[in-house]
Amino acid sequence: MGTKIFKIVNISITFVILIFIISTLGTVLIKGFPGIFSSIKSPELLFAIKLSLETSVISTLACLVVSIPIAYTLSRYNLKGTNIIITLLRIPLTLPPIVSGVSLLLLFGTTSFGDFLSKLGLSFIFNIKGIIIAQFFVNLPSMITILKAAIEGVDIRLEYVARTLGFSPLKAFCKVTLPIIRNNILAALILTWSKALGEFGAVLMLAGAIRFKTETLPMAIYLNMSVGDLDAVMVSSSILIIISIISLSVFELADIELYK
Amino acid sequence: MEDSSLKLNNINKKIGKFELKNIFLEVLSGEYFVILGPTGAGKTVLLEIIAGIKSPDTGEIFLGRKNITHLPPEKRKIGFVYQDYLLFPHLNVKENIIFGLKNNGFKIKQINDRLEQMAELLKIKKLINRSVNDLSGGEKQRIALARALIMEPEILLLDEPLSALDPSTKEVLQNELKVLSKNTTTIFIHVTHDFEEALYLGTRVGVVMNGELLQTGTPEEIFTHPNTSDLAHFVGAENIYESEIICKNNKKYIKLGMILMRVNSDLTGKIGFSIRPEYILISLIPHGENSLPGKVLEVLNRGLFVKVIIDIGDRLVALVPAREEVINTLTVGSTVYCFIPPEAINVFPL
Repeated sequence: MGTKIFKIVNISITFVILIFIISTLGTVLIKGFPGIFSSIKSPELLFAIKLSLETSVISTLACLVVSIPIAYTLSRYNLKGTNIIITLLRIPLTLPPIVSGVSLLLLFGTTSFGDFLSKLGLSFIFNIKGIIIAQFFVNLPSMITILKAAIEGVDIRLEYVARTLGFSPLKAFCKVTLPIIRNNILAALILTWSKALGEFGAVLMLAGAIRFKTETLPMAIYLNMSVGDLDAVMVSSSILIIISIISLSVFELADIELYK
Repeated sequence: MEDSSLKLNNINKKIGKFELKNIFLEVLSGEYFVILGPTGAGKTVLLEIIAGIKSPDTGEIFLGRKNITHLPPEKRKIGFVYQDYLLFPHLNVKENIIFGLKNNGFKIKQINDRLEQMAELLKIKKLINRSVNDLSGGEKQRIALARALIMEPEILLLDEPLSALDPSTKEVLQNELKVLSKNTTTIFIHVTHDFEEALYLGTRVGVVMNGELLQTGTPEEIFTHPNTSDLAHFVGAENIYESEIICKNNKKYIKLGMILMRVNSDLTGKIGFSIRPEYILISLIPHGENSLPGKVLEVLNRGLFVKVIIDIGDRLVALVPAREEVINTLTVGSTVYCFIPPEAINVFPL
């Protein structure tokens, strides 16, 4: 194939797919966007937005708190079987979310471990805590992956130098590595948060789709779709699309300024 | 006066297939000690063990009378400067230099006083508010030195600090390191693979090869009296042979080519010996004792010197000043006499 034809074919495929994505999302946005402002007073939509924001922020922060020590362990310590640990930790990333949800439901609903937690007041089935744990479970691997790569990108000898300047290991990490990877952390937070906001399968299995109880934005879409309220579906979908676009833009911007 | 010498007592460390073996070393206060060795010899690992970044499998480290083997790096008062500077990229020059002081509870006035002193000492006043990403290699190395020295460490570890710099910056910084060490009681331990650097800076030199500290001594001792054939080869003594000590009339001889050469040595039996090429005098007439006849095989111009390869029964390399009359007489195939004074023959046990 000649250079020119090869180039034309590549570019054409790129643009066809681009048009396909834009027209798909555009169809929803054109129909749903004007309705956002009129529907914003709807108690159900407000509830869904509020619950989505609350659960996604909590689950994202929980992911961050847990991911940092895990990412540090995987990138800095030469543990035996690190590769196996990484593979196991990544399973939820490749698993269909609905399977993650079923697994969580079985763990918390049918085992003595679940009973034990339930007695402590930690029940995760068909409630808000379930939404958070489902989002946490599904999104944790991607947060770990991003932070692991970021920590590996920082020369460990920078921490060594800080140690010789009087810093404990924790302080050296907090004052040297963390500030250097702050943009990666920001990117990881945004990515995880936007994924948590749209999490459906796992949340549906564990927390259910109960109006005004476990009704996040994806649940609102599902519930309204099942009763044929297309206007409400468009509005909820538009909100999620707009959040995704904003998140992706911030993610790209953060990436540009990463320390080399 | 408080003794702040550094003592390594039988340090051993295994990392994968590499092993640091039986390191005994004492470096005195105010000394500029150079650890010399080829790449992969274990020099950096040794520095990291001294700094507390890596812990030895066995052995002990003393700073003065204090056993610091199990102290973490932050409690050792040992500064570390790496070859590639490792300045903190998220901080500017000033923040990099005062990074340690700020963490250790120093007051602002103290910090500023010490900063000014360091800026003066290392001639970096103009750089203070700059970003570290815009600095040249030499400037970065100065900042790294300031960051370590501002903590007033008892020991400053320098890991190939000059090898990433261009020759002129290297020379300037080399001089400054020498001045810095003279103006403080800090022990400087400087790792390098460059023999000239070691010769210029070191009050003493230790040679590490394959994880072993083969020899310590003044640079001249290492240069003229290497104690193994590997070491002799590393320091540029190109003529390395094996022989046996022969005693005659209370004098000791070794055999080189077909000739017995007198040597000054206490050793007996089988030995190795090395001769530096620049210690060999070449003439067209015999020079009495220790004068070897040979045939010129090759004459190679090396700028200020001429390298002459001579067949004396063995291969002998000599380095002579590149004067016109010398070059004219040294033609391939001509017969010459190589005079090697007994003190130029370095004998070592096998």
